[in-house]
Amino acid sequence: MNPPVIVNQLTKTFYDDSRGEVVAVNQISFACQAGQIFGLLGANGAGKTTTLRMLATILKPTGGTATLMGFDVSHQPEEVRRHLGFSSATTALYPRLTARETLEFFARINGCPPATVNERVNALISRFGIRDYADARVDRLSQGMKQKVAIARTVAHDPPVLIFDEPTVGLDVLNALEMQKVIAGFRDEGKTILFSTHIMSEAEKLCDRIAIVDQGRIHACDTLANLRLATGLRYLEDIFVHYIERARTTETR
Amino acid sequence: MNRPVASPPAQRESGLNWRQVGILYRREFRAALREKTILFNSILIPIFLYPFLLWAAFTGMMFVMGQTETLASRVAVGQWPEQHPRLRHQIERHKQIEIARAVVGEADASEAIRRGELDARIDFRHPDGKAGEMPGNFAASITFDQSKDRSVAARERIQEIIEDYRTTWVERETMARGIHPARWQTFTLDFQNLASESEMGAFVLGLMLPIIFVVMVAVGCFYPAVDAVAGERERGTWETLMSTSATRPSVVAGKYLYVATMGGLAGALNVVAVLLTVKPVFAPLFEEAGRSLKFSLPLSSVPILMLAAVLLAGFVAAGMMLFATFARTFKEGQSMITPFYMLILLPVVFLQVPGLKLTAALALIPVVNITLMLRESISGDLQWLPMLVTLIASAGAILLILRLAAFVLKFEDVVSGTFQGSLFKLLRLRLRKTSRGT
Repeated sequence: MNPPVIVNQLTKTFYDDSRGEVVAVNQISFACQAGQIFGLLGANGAGKTTTLRMLATILKPTGGTATLMGFDVSHQPEEVRRHLGFSSATTALYPRLTARETLEFFARINGCPPATVNERVNALISRFGIRDYADARVDRLSQGMKQKVAIARTVAHDPPVLIFDEPTVGLDVLNALEMQKVIAGFRDEGKTILFSTHIMSEAEKLCDRIAIVDQGRIHACDTLANLRLATGLRYLEDIFVHYIERARTTETR
Repeated sequence: MNRPVASPPAQRESGLNWRQVGILYRREFRAALREKTILFNSILIPIFLYPFLLWAAFTGMMFVMGQTETLASRVAVGQWPEQHPRLRHQIERHKQIEIARAVVGEADASEAIRRGELDARIDFRHPDGKAGEMPGNFAASITFDQSKDRSVAARERIQEIIEDYRTTWVERETMARGIHPARWQTFTLDFQNLASESEMGAFVLGLMLPIIFVVMVAVGCFYPAVDAVAGERERGTWETLMSTSATRPSVVAGKYLYVATMGGLAGALNVVAVLLTVKPVFAPLFEEAGRSLKFSLPLSSVPILMLAAVLLAGFVAAGMMLFATFARTFKEGQSMITPFYMLILLPVVFLQVPGLKLTAALALIPVVNITLMLRESISGDLQWLPMLVTLIASAGAILLILRLAAFVLKFEDVVSGTFQGSLFKLLRLRLRKTSRGT
């Protein structure tokens, strides 16, 4: 059976007024299995977000291919999005809707059968513990409450693939830990999860496979245990630096 | 900022999905009704602002007129005509005229009038030429300041007294000579207004309503258009929306219909509010001027009004959405839409041209055609051919703008909001690229 997410030679090129042509993502390839968390680990500007946005069909690839649940991101964007839950620091909630209305909207717009929407929304409200403020407007909720609603809306249509782009950015320690638990819970349910971060401890704790990304390229991609074996280093931070320095040295030569 | 090096392979997006359009439309509308700025500008202002403005303006005008009426006119008199003591008596006994005896010289009086300390000066003198040969004849000269309301009122009062006195004097003198006034007052002048009270009311409404209607539709579309695109980007919900399975055309259609609805709603609400308040505001004013008007909308103009609301809101919403597409913040959105907003209001000037009718040629000009169609439908004078041309021309203009919007939204950086610039910059860059390519 094919992996739910297959990325092959994916490339994205931009034109920047000051820098000219910029290759943001350079022929990257990887695959993600169901019930696994695949982590993209890289510094800011490494190309993680661009990659995930291409998979979410928000950006169009300049080259290469990617499929999600067998649907091509370039040619079947709606089908891709229907099977995907996308969450990032820049995907905010509608402040003037209540938590319940938010979940209903995202369930409906993502193709949930109308007859099952209420049941699904109630289930999400129970699961994420937002019953007490389900009918309060989002702009009146605390950061922690908003975060729960944001996660619930990402899975409102029960997608098999989830993308979390730096999901803990801007969260305090407790909320960040809560978020990590929720993501781990989705993996245990058998969902395929793509996760980007620049926080080593997060990747170390959550990811089943890690891709080390720098300057639009993947320099290593394996399980943490295999990365440790390959480098002889214990900490992910050291492993990350090892691969980045090696890549940059090779490039300089 | 970033823009693609070359047009990337187009993603195959399906067309409109009306179920999605409905879901998006309901979400936009529900959120809009909870937003104070939109609620205020698109619902409350149309209902209350213009009726209130009309009431305030006319109440203020009546108040000022009343104030001027109650003020006595301070008048200096150069030299009374000796043979007309009755005239002197009438002027001196007039309740709203005070004779200023302190001001004597002509130069002093002029200076005092300029300073506002005196309202007018009358100089009676012996007339020149043939008129001087008539016994008891005189010439009166009134000095006043046209720029001062009180001075103008003084002139009118003196003029009225002298003219009334002259008529009475002439009648008395001719009667004394055995000539009945009917023999020398040969020509009489009388007026007959054929317009009914309803027709006069329709005329006044036809002048007023289309202007207010255009302004209100534009105001009604303005904030929703900015909020639907720039507002989403500023709040960070744009990317959330783009990551849903809604097709891009469905997103655009949902937002467009929402903006058009808000504009149409604002226009319709305003018309209703004006119609409900125009009677108590205007009718007493015209009654005071000796005219009685009936303000009611002809039944036949209701469907035309609805058609006008749909066409105008459709056109304005399309234009505003097109410009707002390039805005990344609410402020940017406002500044990008404002020139279009001003442009829409420009054709309102056409309504002020006396005798201007909706012709087939004028029916080709967007907004102008709708305002004229509206005016003629209110006055019950609508021609079918220009109306048909208006319908076709407006629908064509809407389609043209929507096609341009669809073209603009093919650019990834415009959709994602990373393009820095306006519609004109994009077209310039794109056209340059095309001309290089060829």
